Amino acid sequence: MNNISLPPLVALLVFPGGLFLMALGLAYEYIDRKLVARFQNRLGPRWFQPLADLVKLLAKEEIIPDGVHRGLFIILPVIAVAGALTAALYTPLAGFMPAYSFPGDLVVTLYLLSVMTLSMGLAGANTADRFSLIGATRTLTQLFSYEAPFLLALLGPAIAAGSWQISTINLYAENNRWMIFTQPVGFIVAIIGLMGKLELPPFDAPEAETEIVAGALTEYSGRGYALFRLGKDIELVIGLTLVSAFYLGGLANPLEFLLKTLALLLVVAALQSLFARLRIDQTVGLWWRAGAILGLVQLAVIIAGSSWLRPLLFK
Amino acid sequence: MDLEPNKKFVVPIGPQHPALKEPGHFEFAVDGEIVTGATVRLGFVHRGIEKSAESRTYVQNLYLMERVCGICSHVHGTAFTIGVEHLAGVTVPPRANAIRVLVAELERIHSHMLWLGVAAHEGGFDTLFMYSWRDREKVMDILEEISGNRVHYSANVIGGVKFDISEEQRGKILSSLDFLEERTRHYLKVVNEDETFLGRTVGVGIMTREQAESLGAVGPTARASGVERDIRVDAPYAGYEQFPVRMITDTRGDLHARFVVRIEELFEAYRVIREILDHMPEGELTARVPRRIPAGETISRVEAPRGELLYYIKSNGTDMPERVKVRTPSLCNWGSITSVAVGHKLADMPMLLVGIDPCFSCNDRTITIKSAGVDLGWTWEDLRQHGIEAYR
Amino acid sequence: MDTIQELERVETLLKPYAGEMRRGEANRVDVPLEVGQLKAAVKALVDARWGYLGAIAGVDQPAPVEQGGPAANGHTEVIYIFFQGAAAAALRVLVPYEGGSVPTICDLIPSATLYERELIELFGVTVTDTPTTEKLVLPDDWPDGVYPLRKSFTGFDGQQV
Repeated sequence: MNNISLPPLVALLVFPGGLFLMALGLAYEYIDRKLVARFQNRLGPRWFQPLADLVKLLAKEEIIPDGVHRGLFIILPVIAVAGALTAALYTPLAGFMPAYSFPGDLVVTLYLLSVMTLSMGLAGANTADRFSLIGATRTLTQLFSYEAPFLLALLGPAIAAGSWQISTINLYAENNRWMIFTQPVGFIVAIIGLMGKLELPPFDAPEAETEIVAGALTEYSGRGYALFRLGKDIELVIGLTLVSAFYLGGLANPLEFLLKTLALLLVVAALQSLFARLRIDQTVGLWWRAGAILGLVQLAVIIAGSSWLRPLLFK
Repeated sequence: MDLEPNKKFVVPIGPQHPALKEPGHFEFAVDGEIVTGATVRLGFVHRGIEKSAESRTYVQNLYLMERVCGICSHVHGTAFTIGVEHLAGVTVPPRANAIRVLVAELERIHSHMLWLGVAAHEGGFDTLFMYSWRDREKVMDILEEISGNRVHYSANVIGGVKFDISEEQRGKILSSLDFLEERTRHYLKVVNEDETFLGRTVGVGIMTREQAESLGAVGPTARASGVERDIRVDAPYAGYEQFPVRMITDTRGDLHARFVVRIEELFEAYRVIREILDHMPEGELTARVPRRIPAGETISRVEAPRGELLYYIKSNGTDMPERVKVRTPSLCNWGSITSVAVGHKLADMPMLLVGIDPCFSCNDRTITIKSAGVDLGWTWEDLRQHGIEAYR
Repeated sequence: MDTIQELERVETLLKPYAGEMRRGEANRVDVPLEVGQLKAAVKALVDARWGYLGAIAGVDQPAPVEQGGPAANGHTEVIYIFFQGAAAAALRVLVPYEGGSVPTICDLIPSATLYERELIELFGVTVTDTPTTEKLVLPDDWPDGVYPLRKSFTGFDGQQV
């Protein structure tokens, strides 16, 4: 893995955080939208569409509805994006060493990623709009259902690597057999967990437009909505990076990063267009009945494997 | 926000809502995700057509009635003309009757496929939505080919029909039907086998036969609950006597049954159209109808894609009707929503709403090549290509 | 044929309540009723499971002015249309503008509520005991006492319909 040392300000604002990440997020959003469109036999957007959407939203008036806590209403999108951007600093973005790294940063990253979902839930609960309130309830319900299996799925590689530091796991993944083969169940749970986290179809009940308009974000417009969307794009990139670093044999250089994350995005886009939307009760049921159990079983096998079998086999 | 504990939490759907393509207003009282009550308010697109029919001639009214609905324009025209022809004592030539049935069944195909797409979209299954609408273009192309219009084909005149089916058109229709039938078979498979889709439709919105009868449900909605009622079979009109259809029913009464019934009706439509094209009666297209219609009254019923459509026409011996009453099938089916909704999840509401196929105005564009005096000189194909290029 | 038998059956069913019945069309029997007999007649149909309610149509019959009758003396003819297969039965009652009313049939046929609301709104017919009288199709700010499907209504401010 290449290591580049950058001044902290550059690391935060330009690369790998800040501008680079936003540009990458928009690019990935475009690829995702285009792929889904092609799967659905549509033409899909032009390459600059996500950027155009963002610029247009930023240029629009932000309407602050009655009955909200103004401060929260304004600050929540910022917190969401900040959380996502910060999480990026600990991930091996573009195949480079994470800008910052310390033992246990995996857990911190996951929680920073959840800040985004929490902010959206709070943003929905903050407004008096009924669609937002229901959307917020569903967002938080979904948070509680996918978070545990997703975490379990990422803990599998961590335990196999014997470290909770993302860069170490990444290194371990590079030098060992791809964990998609050694822990296939974990991979499936991780990728579906990622889709739940990003509220992509078929897990888009929290923002099901035919039921509750735009869910928690119904009342957002202009800047706030632009930031939430941007935050989601960033989360998409980080999520893909994490899953491919852990399960697809690590990210050693930018080329590998591109190939592996894009391959994963292809899978995610295909899954998005294959299914009908799950009701929120079906989502929760699926996660707790199937996802969590599978994750736990996988984890038990890994722990058993690494603590008993390995000493026996490689004595 | 009202936080009184006893106050119901009401989720409004409409008049403007992404799930509704036409304004209607529904209020669902919910407890968590469970719906505990539902009310409906209509009339946002009330246009006073019944009133304005009283001050227009029968010929003008024919065009007015075709505009009651953007999706099933033909059945409205047919119901009206059949009523007027009956009052005037005119017999329509058999070829005209056959063409009426042909267009009606093509319309049913387009309407059911449109519905399939919309219903899939409400269930968050956008891929099915896109595919079924893409394939629906085939039937729109047929309709455009034979009538010149995609939506308001305006096939009827009082006393007959306006256009004939040529040998060349016959070939085009038949080849399109083969394609559509194959696709429909695929959709039936998707609807019957896709796990996520089954999860959203099986056992949802069950309406028993008794309920369907007491709520006055009609059309595929009622037939999916086992009510054997289809005007094409019960009281054949136009060419249905000569080209009978088979009634499709299902006994389960849930959303899935409504999907299956409608898709099975598509197969029946393909069969009837082929039959008509193979045994097209020869002869005239129109019969002469007097301008003044003798005094009298009549009830004419046709089976619209959504169910029984009823026209009550009272004439007074002049060239304008005394009273025209239109009872559209969607009106009958609203009742089934408000009472079936209770106890279901909020997430099922859009699909339940769409499950009866409420008559949402067609969003289809009609492209006039010569618009506002500017002759673009483009053919349909040019426009289509332009559309593809411009948005690539 | 089936239709003829069904028509004969409905004629026998409604004989006790109706005035002089006649075949309006080959497949339709017109059944003039007194308002008081309406409910009993509908109940007879429902009990015998003869057909289903297709629609309730209102027809405005204003008093002919040349006969010297004031406009207020008009009637609304309310037609309850039932179908059984191809056979139709039209139960007809005449309701005067002033003081007239029809009883609701919603307790017998719940789906009638939409038609009854339409009658109330568009014709100004009083329907007693009907469950809902809220506006169904007209705008919320529609003035009271203006019934658009009466012949006397020709638009607001001289605007022709």
